Parts: sequence; C-alpha cells; structure tokens
Amino acid sequence: MNIRLLPVLLGLLTVLLELSLCPTALADQVDFANDVRPILADTCYQCHGPDEESRAAGLRLDRPDEALAVIEPGDAAASELITRLLASDADLVMPPPDSGKSLRPEQIQTLKRWIDQGAEFQSHWAFLAPERPAIPVVETDAAIKNPIDAFVQAKLQATAITPSAPASAETLIRRLSLDLTGLPPEPALIDQWAPRLRGDGDAESANAAYAQLVNHLLSSEHFGERWARLWLDAARYADSDGYEKDKPREAWFYRDWVIRSFNQDRPYDDFIIRQIAGDLLPDATQDDRVATGFLRNSMVNEEGGADPEQFRMEAMFDRMDAVGKSILGLTIQCAQCHTHKYDPIQHEEYYGLFAYLNNTHDAIIPVYTDAQQAQADQVTADVSKLEQQIKTQIPDWHAQLIAWADQAAQRSLPQWQTPPLEFLDRTLGGSKFLEQPDGSYLCQGYAPTNFRPQATGTFDGDRLTGVRLELLTHPNLPRNGPGRSIDGTWALSEISGQVVLSGAPDKVIPMKFGRAVADRSPQVAELKPRYDNKKDNKRTTGGIDFAIDGDDATAWTNEIDTPQANQDQTAWFELAQPIEIPDQQTATVEIHLAQRHGGWNSDDNQTFNIGRFRVSLTADPIPEFAPLPIAVAALLKKPSADWSADDTAVVFSHWRTTRPELEPINQQIDSAWASYPRGTTQLTLASRNRPRTTSLLHRGEFLSPGVEVRPHVPDFLHDMQPSDAPSRLQFARWLVDRDSPTTARSIVNRIWQAYFGTGLVETSDDLGTQSSPPSHPELLDYLAVELMENGWRLKHLHRLIVGSATYQQSSDLTPELAQRDPQNRLLARAARFRVPAETVRDITLAASGLLDREVGGRSVYPPAPEFLFQPPVSYGPKVWDVARDSQRYRRALYTFRFRSVPYPMLENFDAVPGNLSCVRRSLSNTPMQALTSLNEPMFLECSIALAAKTLGETPDADDAQRIDFAFRRCTGRLPTDSERTVLVDYLDRQRQRIAAGELDPEQIISPAALLDVRDCPPDQLAAWGLLCRVIVNLDETITRE
Amino acid sequence: MNLTNTIRSRRWFMKDCGVGLGAIAAAQMMAEESTAAHLATDPLAARAPHFPGKIKNVIFLFMAGAPSHLELFDYKPQLAKFDGTLPPAELLKGYRAAFINPNSKLLGPKFQFSRHGKCGAQISEILPHTAQVADDLTIVKSMTTDAFNHAPAQIMMNTGSQLFGKPSLGAWTLYGLGSESKDLPGFVVFSSGKKGPSGGNSNWGSGYLPTVYSGVQLRNVGDPVLYLSNPNGVDGRAQRDALDAITALNQQHLAATGDPEIATRISSYEMAYRMQASAPELMDLGAESQQTLDAYGADPDKPSFAKNCLLARRLVERGVRFVQLFHEAWDQHGDLVNGLKNNCKDTDQACAALIQDLKQRGMLDETLVIWGGEFGRTPMVQGGGGDGRDHHPNAFTMWMAGGGMKPGVTLGESDDFGFNVTADKVHVRDLHATILHQMGFDHTRLSYKFQGLDQRLTGVEPARVVTELIA
Repeated sequence: MNIRLLPVLLGLLTVLLELSLCPTALADQVDFANDVRPILADTCYQCHGPDEESRAAGLRLDRPDEALAVIEPGDAAASELITRLLASDADLVMPPPDSGKSLRPEQIQTLKRWIDQGAEFQSHWAFLAPERPAIPVVETDAAIKNPIDAFVQAKLQATAITPSAPASAETLIRRLSLDLTGLPPEPALIDQWAPRLRGDGDAESANAAYAQLVNHLLSSEHFGERWARLWLDAARYADSDGYEKDKPREAWFYRDWVIRSFNQDRPYDDFIIRQIAGDLLPDATQDDRVATGFLRNSMVNEEGGADPEQFRMEAMFDRMDAVGKSILGLTIQCAQCHTHKYDPIQHEEYYGLFAYLNNTHDAIIPVYTDAQQAQADQVTADVSKLEQQIKTQIPDWHAQLIAWADQAAQRSLPQWQTPPLEFLDRTLGGSKFLEQPDGSYLCQGYAPTNFRPQATGTFDGDRLTGVRLELLTHPNLPRNGPGRSIDGTWALSEISGQVVLSGAPDKVIPMKFGRAVADRSPQVAELKPRYDNKKDNKRTTGGIDFAIDGDDATAWTNEIDTPQANQDQTAWFELAQPIEIPDQQTATVEIHLAQRHGGWNSDDNQTFNIGRFRVSLTADPIPEFAPLPIAVAALLKKPSADWSADDTAVVFSHWRTTRPELEPINQQIDSAWASYPRGTTQLTLASRNRPRTTSLLHRGEFLSPGVEVRPHVPDFLHDMQPSDAPSRLQFARWLVDRDSPTTARSIVNRIWQAYFGTGLVETSDDLGTQSSPPSHPELLDYLAVELMENGWRLKHLHRLIVGSATYQQSSDLTPELAQRDPQNRLLARAARFRVPAETVRDITLAASGLLDREVGGRSVYPPAPEFLFQPPVSYGPKVWDVARDSQRYRRALYTFRFRSVPYPMLENFDAVPGNLSCVRRSLSNTPMQALTSLNEPMFLECSIALAAKTLGETPDADDAQRIDFAFRRCTGRLPTDSERTVLVDYLDRQRQRIAAGELDPEQIISPAALLDVRDCPPDQLAAWGLLCRVIVNLDETITRE
Repeated sequence: MNLTNTIRSRRWFMKDCGVGLGAIAAAQMMAEESTAAHLATDPLAARAPHFPGKIKNVIFLFMAGAPSHLELFDYKPQLAKFDGTLPPAELLKGYRAAFINPNSKLLGPKFQFSRHGKCGAQISEILPHTAQVADDLTIVKSMTTDAFNHAPAQIMMNTGSQLFGKPSLGAWTLYGLGSESKDLPGFVVFSSGKKGPSGGNSNWGSGYLPTVYSGVQLRNVGDPVLYLSNPNGVDGRAQRDALDAITALNQQHLAATGDPEIATRISSYEMAYRMQASAPELMDLGAESQQTLDAYGADPDKPSFAKNCLLARRLVERGVRFVQLFHEAWDQHGDLVNGLKNNCKDTDQACAALIQDLKQRGMLDETLVIWGGEFGRTPMVQGGGGDGRDHHPNAFTMWMAGGGMKPGVTLGESDDFGFNVTADKVHVRDLHATILHQMGFDHTRLSYKFQGLDQRLTGVEPARVVTELIA
C-alpha cells in the first residue's frame, strides 16, 4: 500500500469502510485477482465466463487468450472491452441493461488501469497452493508475541491505528476457557491462574504461565466437545432423518468420534480421509467406519410418495455440498445444474467429483462401546471354547462332518423358479419394492407398520407344489437386515396366495399351505414395546408355523436378539394339495405377505417389515427336512476339499446342531450368544460390489442422465496423484493433499472465525472467485502452511492463535475504533460476541453447578414443551422423554436434535438444524432470546440452583459477598461497586415483597422441584433465585469478552 | 444484531434501496448516539422497497397436504364422463406418481360445481362461503410445481426450492420490508389441522438470511409465544424490577466496553417485555364482537383454523408483516369425499370471513391473502374404493384476494382431465415473483449475497411477474 495516499484514504474510510479492505483499488498497481477478477466475475462472467450454455458471442473473459479478442494489453483506450462498457447506445453497452448488472465508474477505472498496465491475468489467489510468506519486519512498540502479530501490526501501522491494550488476566482466563473448552472457568481456576498470568510484572513468567494455561485447557476433554460443535454444523449432524417423517436415527457414535478426534489432536488430513473413506482403509476399524457417518448425515426422505432413487440423489447433492463447504471451502452446488457462472468448476467436473462418492450403500451398522466390544469378544471366545469342547469330545468330528455334508449334499432338492413379480400399488402403502439382479426385492422408502403387499408372478410348470421364501440381507438395511426394523428384523404375520390358470381366467384357486419348514424357528415371544399398536389384540411371534396358521396375530420372525438374527433365512411352504397346471397353460400366482406386527406410529421407528425377499415356486415335492442355512447350502455345493478354515467353521456351526447328543452344549452356545451385547447403530458408508454408472445430469435432474462421467478432479484445482487405492480413498487423500489450494486455508479461516467472529476471509463458506478478499492474505497463507507443515495438527494452530498478542488484546470498543474499523477487520482489538447457542446453555448450567460434565454418549432430552413434539406442531408424534436425572444437565451438544423440531432454546440462539452444511451461523440478538433466558424453565432451574449453591457455599457471608460469589460464577469477575449496588437494591426489594406476602416464595422456587434445596429456607432461596436470574440474564454472562 | 449483519444490512441499503453515501454517513454519525444506534442499524426497521408497492401485509393460508383442485375449483365435466376408464397413454408419458401406478382409472369429480358472483367463477358446492366472495377472488387454475412429495413441495412453495436451507417467502418479506410492529414478531406462523406441516419449520425458516427474519410460531391456546409468561410467582412488578436491574447493569457494561451490541440487547429485552403484554392482548378475543366470532365460526376457547384466521387479521392490524397459517389436512389418498367435506367445513367459512372482514375494515387493499397447497391431486383414482387421489404437480389451483390483484378474475386452464396446464401456466416461481412485485420488489434484485452469489427467492430459473393477475 502506498503511504503517500494515506491521508486521502483515511478521509474516505469514515464513509466507506470497505475501502480499508481493498486499499489497492487506489494504489498504483492493479491486482488481477483482488481487483479485476471480482469485477469481471460479478458483471461479465454470466455470459462471458466458463459456462458454455450461457456464453454469448463466443467470448470468454476468464481465459487470457480468448479475452484478447476485446483487450489490447497496454492500451485501454483501444480495447473494445472498455469501449463497450462506456457505450451510451443501449444496444452496444455492456453489460446489457436487461442483465440487471452494471459497473460503477471506479470499477471501470480499475479495468482501464489494469489494461494499461498490461492486462495480466493471474489465477484467483485461493486457487494457488499457499506458500509460506515472509514474516514482515515491523518496528513497533506493540507486543509481537508470534508471527501472527507481525502480520497484523504491519497492516495496522500502515493505517496508523494503535492496537488495544492486553485484556485483564480474568478476562483472558474466561476467554480462553470459553474458546478452548466452551465452558466458563470455575472461580477456582481464575484464582489459580490470574496471579500467575499477571506474573508480578515479570513478562517471561507471565508468558510461561499463559502457555501452561493454554496447554491445560487444550488437554481438557471438553476441548473436543467445544470444537466438535463447529465441525458438526459443517457435517450437518442431527439425530433424526429430516423431511416429513423425521424419524430418530442413531449417529452419536460419529459425534463422539469427532469429539475424540479433536481431543487426540488427530491430524486434520487424517480426520478428513477417514470421514470420506475410512471404510476403505486397510484393516478398517469400527471407528474408521463410524467416521464415514460424515457423508451419511444427509437427510433421508421416507414419506409415502418418495422415490428412493430421487432422494438418494438429493443426499448425494447434499454430500457434494458438504464436501465443498466444509472441506474445500468452495461453493460447488451450482455446478450440479450448469457450469458455474463464476467459479471455474464445470458442470461435467461436478459429476467427476460426484463419481468418487457415488459407489456406496447407505449402511446402518451395529457399533459397540469399548465395554460392549469386550463383552462381545468374550462371547465369541466362549462360543469358540464350547465348540472346541465338542471337537475334543468327538475326536473324529471332522470326518463326521464331512460324512454329514456328503450325505446332505446328496439329498434331492426341489428345482425352484424365481418369477419376476409385479406389486399391486395400493397394497404397498407407498413403500417401494426395488428389483435386484438375483430376482429378489429390496423394500425401501416409506415403511408401513401394518400392510399386506400383494405380488403377482407367472409360473411355468405342470403343477405347483410349494413356495420358497428367502429373507435376504442387504447393506442398505439396518444391521444388514434382512428386516427393516431398527434391529434388522422382520415378522411375517401370514403368507397366503391364490392361483389363476391361463385356461380359466375367472376361476381363482386358493393356495392352502399344509406344511412349512424353515432353517430357523424361534421360540414364541411377546412383542417388544416398540411394536405396540395400541389395540387390544394380543400379538405374538415365534416359529414358521405362525406364518401359515391363518392368524394375523401370530408371526414367524427372525427376532432373536443376537447377531444371528441378521442372516439370510429360508422357508419352504408346501401346498396341502398340489395345483395341477394343464399342458399349454401357465399359472398366475398371487402371493400376499401380511406384515401386521409393527407399532401404531409409522412416523417413528416401529416398522417390523421384511427388508429383502425372494419368492420362488416349484413343481417338485417339498422335502420333509428343513432347508439348510443359505451359507451352508452354498458350501455344500462345492467339494469339501476346497473349503477354507472359515468355511469349515460355518458348516461346523450348523452340523453340531444336527447332533442330538450335543443338545446340552448347543444350548450353552445359544445362551452364550444371547448375552452378546446389542450395541447401538451408526449410519455409515459401505462400498458396492456392482459399481454405479455416474452420468452428467442435465439441469441436475436425476431423470435426465447424459453422458457417462468417470471420476476425475476439476482442472482448476490440484492434480490427483495416481494410485491403486479405491477411487473414493484416492479422492479423500486428494482433498487433503499438500497441494490443495483451499483445504488448509478453509479450515484455518474457520478456526480464525471462531476466535475473532469473522474469518480472515469473511465468506468462510466460499473462498472462490466471489469471496470477499482476505483482510490479511499473507497471514492466512502463513497459518495454512503452518498447519500443514506441523503435521496438520490443529492444536498447533490453536496454540499459535491464542498465543498471539492480537488474540490477547482487550475487546473494548473505543470511539476511535468504532469509527475507523467497526468491523474489526484490522484486528486492533479482540472480538467481543455473544457465545453460540450451546455455550449459552452450558454457561448457565456450569454457573449453577448443575452441569453434568460426562463426555459422549447417547443424545439426551432436557426439558422442552411437550406440544412441540405432537401434531399439529410436529408432523407426526415424537418421543421426547424429559430427563429427570443428571442427563437433564448435560452439555447442550448432547441435546437430541430433531431436524423438524429443533430444541427451542438452542434455535432461538441461532443453532442450526443440520439440514445442510453450515460453516457460519447467524448471530442474532432478539426479543425471543430475552424471553427464553428470562422465562424458560431450565434457565429458572439454573438460577435457583445457583442461588442454592451461593447460600450453601457462603454460609457466613454478607449479601455483598454472596452477590460477588454468584456474579463471578456467571461473568468470571467481581462486580464493580455500582453494579453491586444495583444488585443489593434489587435483592432488598424482592426480600421486602416476599416478607410482605406480595410474592410467594414457594411459587418462585417451584421450577427447582427436582433439586435438593431442603437446606435453604424458601424465602431466602426465592429472593436469591430472583437475583441469580438477573445475573444469568446479563449480556456479559452470555458474551465472550 | 451483530456488526457483521449491521454492515450487511447497511450494504443492502446502499445497493438495493438507492440510499446514497450521504445517508450512510448520516447513519454512521447517528450511530455514535447509543439510542439512535439500533434505530439506524435495526435489521427489522421498516424499509422502502424498490418501487412503491401495493401491499404491506401478506396472509398465506397454506392448505398443507395438497387439496384436490378437481373437487374444489377446477371443474372437469369430461373427467366425469370418462370416469372409470384409463387415461390416454400420451398423457402419462414420462409421468411419475407418488403412490399409484399412473395407469389407473380416471375418477370423476365427486362434487357439483356452479357459477358464482358477477364473475361467474365455478366453485364447488362444498365451498359455499368462498363462493359468496367469488368476486373478490383472483383464481389461478394453472399453477404448476416441480415436486410431488409433501416435504419437498411444501419447501418449494415456501422457499422457492425443493432443497432445504433457503429463506422462506415470509423471511424474504421481512428482509425486504422490515417490520412495522415493535412489539410483535414481524413474521408469524400458526398451525392447525391433523398434523404439523411435512416440511417442518423449514417452511418458515430464514435459510441463509439472518435468523431474525425467520417466522415465529405462535400457538392459539396457552402461551401464544414460547416462554412468554412470567415464571411462577413472578408478578408484573417483579418482572419489571428484574428488567430494570438487568438494564441498569447492561448499561453500565455498555459504558465500560462501548459495544453497541449491548444496546441492542437492552432494546431486545424491552421488546420482550412489551411482547409479554401485547401477545396476550392479541390473543384475547374478548374485544371481538359476537358477530365477528360468528362470521369466522371461531370459538375463542378452542384451537381452530377459524380462530387462526381471526388472529391473522388482528396480527395484520398490529403491523405484523407476514402471517402464515398452516392447515395440514388435505392429503386425501383415501376418504376423498368425507375428508374434503370436513376440511371445507373447517376452513371455508373462515377464509371467506377473513376476506370480508379485511374488506370491511379497509385493509384488503394493502393485504394480500393467498390460499393454496403444495400441489394438486391426480385425476386418476387411488385405492380400490374409488375414493382417493394421489399427488399431482402438473396442475393445481390457488386463489388470492386483495393486495392489488384483479378481483373476480380466473386465470389459466388445465386440460379436460385437470392433468396438465394448457394456458397461462403459473409456476411457483412466477407466483413468488408476482407476490414480491406487489410488495414493490423486482424479484431479480431482491437478493442476498451468500456463497459468492446474489441469491434470490426466485433462483436462477426464469420467473415472470404474472401481470394478468394484477389490477
């Protein structure tokens, strides 16, 4: 920046603040990336940019060679570009009047000067990989604690603004505590560190103490919670599906993985790789699969009319958007429909990226905590010990097993025909049955809890003797299926059918099943509460006979509460009388699969339906013996000599059940399995064996596929190094390549934003050509390079930022700063802002002493008005079982997040519902917030708890001391004398009114019904409760100073 | 409002309101006086649109679930004639239905239609009250949308996009015009019917606009606003006392830190306090005459769509910019005849009463009333009982009243089966462009910079102001 222009600039600053951000506009040398390209992008590229479809006159102004058609480098006056911009003829002037675009005179001046200076095109700054900039040498009296300060001071000096004084020790401790852990400091922490931070005038020991405090907070397990919340916004985390049904889902293992990752300081590159392709890493662990929950946080639409493929594509677009915003820091959404008007990502390149992610199943896998995993390992060990016992007991077990297998393989089996099926729409209730290549059908979309789908197929044979029904697993089903319940289980209430012969189309022949056999038949059992249909009819589940007993209240099920439920199953149904099919005729067979064992609320997880099934028909006799498990039957088809050890183990596990003398030990094995932990589930990605073809979608419509697109990365970004890894894993690694121009800058900028309220680039969701120019470009690059060159360790970055004098300044707004830099883009002070929604709650809980500091686990249900979760507010009834134990006081990060019914307190303070990736929340200041903190029950409960704590912990104190105690718990400092006076007066007035019987203390303390406050006299507690309510409501309490 | 947003709204002034540099400088100077600060920078301050608009307020009667145009407004004698036959094959080419096999039999209209008013609009027998205000209605029989599932289609109708995360029409309205009400939210939502709307509260969300522009859901029983009532045992004086103490302390801290955000918080608390009085006053129908209550068919003690309509008028009277009533009840896959009869019984009278009431009070000119759902219903039958219709996006009917629309006009036509629009197609985007136009906005210029783009309600696809509808 040119110093001679300074006085002019300062004069202008008072009216046009933005000029301070792009001072080069007035400087001699015009910078293409910062000055010219934004003008061209905003006003010209719509018709003269990368988008071929909307390009006019065949002219591109984004490519130097092609722009030469209208630009004469070095001579603006001779350049048609300028002539057209200045033209007065409406037919000639650019941009055309009907485009709604126009250039300001100073913009045209900029373009002129740029052309006069040679019209040099440079890439947009954010598309060139960051390089380590030289650290400016500044001569200043201001503190330079690390290179951040040098960059900031260099710019401040140029504008002759003095940085602010350091904040007080108390303010710094609270600021650090809120910034690093999201929790206010306990007074003891302030007592411990404030004197050390002051260091008695010894700067060195003060600095050392500060660094120690930072390390102390960085190693707190609450650090991960605080920073996870930011990432979870970007990852659009929620505990429900979204859309109309908005059913609860389990994704908190992912949330906890994010928390742990930040706590462990997992390198950011590794953090990203695992979220995109953890499942594809060699020896992927449960954690690696859980990490892929990032992509699975997309919403799921299971409303009745939804086409699963349409909403799979919507979810894909959402994943692309999330990758763009949260990792690349780029808006790529527009290129879904057309080539991006401004950024150079082409329509076709969007689908090139899309293709990397397109080859997945939407899995819901069982996951186990460490304790559960230990128990699971124990069960596996027990089973294996018992099986070993059998092998000891029967020394020639192997020979016997082979003999059994040979004999079993000899048995003659029916020849099955699997006809393609047609389903009667009105029997499906809106669910969709998707045909699979093996003739099976996968049930997706809406899942009714009580229906009887009707399938029709054609059978070609001389007689029909029976039906085979296979229930098959699939990665898209919960716990792999084969059912659609949240346990992957199903219940078949009744199978029935009828036949019409082609020779007698009017005659319906009912199919009467006389006998049924299955590879597995569980004991009779009562239904679980989740399947309650709120009707009187008692329904049970059990073995295969229940499927043909003519009673819809009994069902055959696979629900046995062990992992063995989640396996393929087979049943054979024999017709009591074979149906003869005369020569030249075919039979139209109609099968009904009644599934009436689900619960009353199909808008919740109460379905008990079959997830994937295959219907086959035969003319052969149905054997007396039961079908073998599908895995065993498949192995019997190959010679036992070719079996692997695992194959033998599979056959063994079945063979032992065929031996009556092993009954006792088999029972022991069964009961061992019964103690296998159920764990919970997590939405993850799973790779498909059959790759999908990715096509360019015309206008982003999934019904308008164009040419096939192979996975590839956009031209304007860095190259991908070839490797043999699966393509999604290659993509994941590419995202965090050292050469990526935006990845490190994007995360560094967002972390800066969290500390300073605004990023170095204000548009933290978009570093593309339309982004606002960085306030300190070299600083941004310095931080990005620092991150990458220090093993992508985010804690290094945090240490660096909070270690700077820039961070440690006071946040007070002087009149001078208010006038000269109200947005604080020059960083002559620290930021002062209201804390995020979750921190508002956490501060209140922590101040009151109620906060339960447990880290991780299932999401919780703090108090909320019940009607929010019921129609007509909620679409369907939702369960919100208010916690009455300490779960009520968990950090707000753990509050259950229904997308369609956000937790009202958090919503009022600008939390986002997780419908799409968000890297920059609004920060509002509204009456709704005031009503919430004044009147919401948890705020009141906390106020009274704080009062009880104050009274309990300061038994001999006077009012002023007690006020100090409560005030300090909320704000981290003692009140001033005049503040104390306001509070003492207020307290006195409330006391008088209580004493006079004007206010009822019992009423006032009623929000604390769950608290043990017996030690406090109600009138005292009420008065202090009202006082604490005032303190909790102070601007300062919910502000990070 | 934080500084970033303050600056943003200032930019908006400069860019979209034609407020020159002088005015900005003046605002800047005023900002030094703390009381003037938030007036100058209040994101909800009433503002002038691009050009003088005809309307100040909108009441959107959102018939969620999607009412059957074929039974209510779009009379199709040919459909009656071909009842029970399969639809022509060419009609179904490329057609996707939500539930049914598209090749299902046609179902004739279930109710009688007759002509009403001087305009002679054809209206169903189950809408007798609406029929009486036919001459006040502007009916659009040629609506069309892109989505045929409830949640995406509702989001489409309310935010212009099937994708979640975009600002709603009401949010755009507040962003554009600000609020006239100092003690009630500028954008209010009520819900009635069997369920909540499928799109949830994204239907009235602020999307990428600042959250101050999102709708506030009020309840028509109990506390109208969440956390409105004083806590147990806290009387009016105690609440005022608490507020005074909070304000006194906040003012001291404002003096110490100089952060204008504290001034905003002080005024937020004051508005909250005023809202504690004004919201119950709003909800108290005691001042309404029995005649008015009867006209709407509203029982003050019972939650109902009728009561919400009356409250909508009261809200508009109090300067609330945008009122949206969701009545989720219209998804007649089955029970078409009884379902429609009941829904009309619940809504018809109140809709008509609202128009007449606004008119009587001279408010209809500046208030635009909009009636409609997220899509229409198939002319093909759903279910074996011949008593249901599936979702249908290609053609449906909406009506508007007041707000500078041409009264007594019916625009657009659908084909003989009410399947496709054959004349004067009005896409959801066109409707949005038209509504914004009535407010005084050029829909291409009412924009907000987000993710590097000038985002707008009507998006990037073409949209037109339907001038044929405008008086």
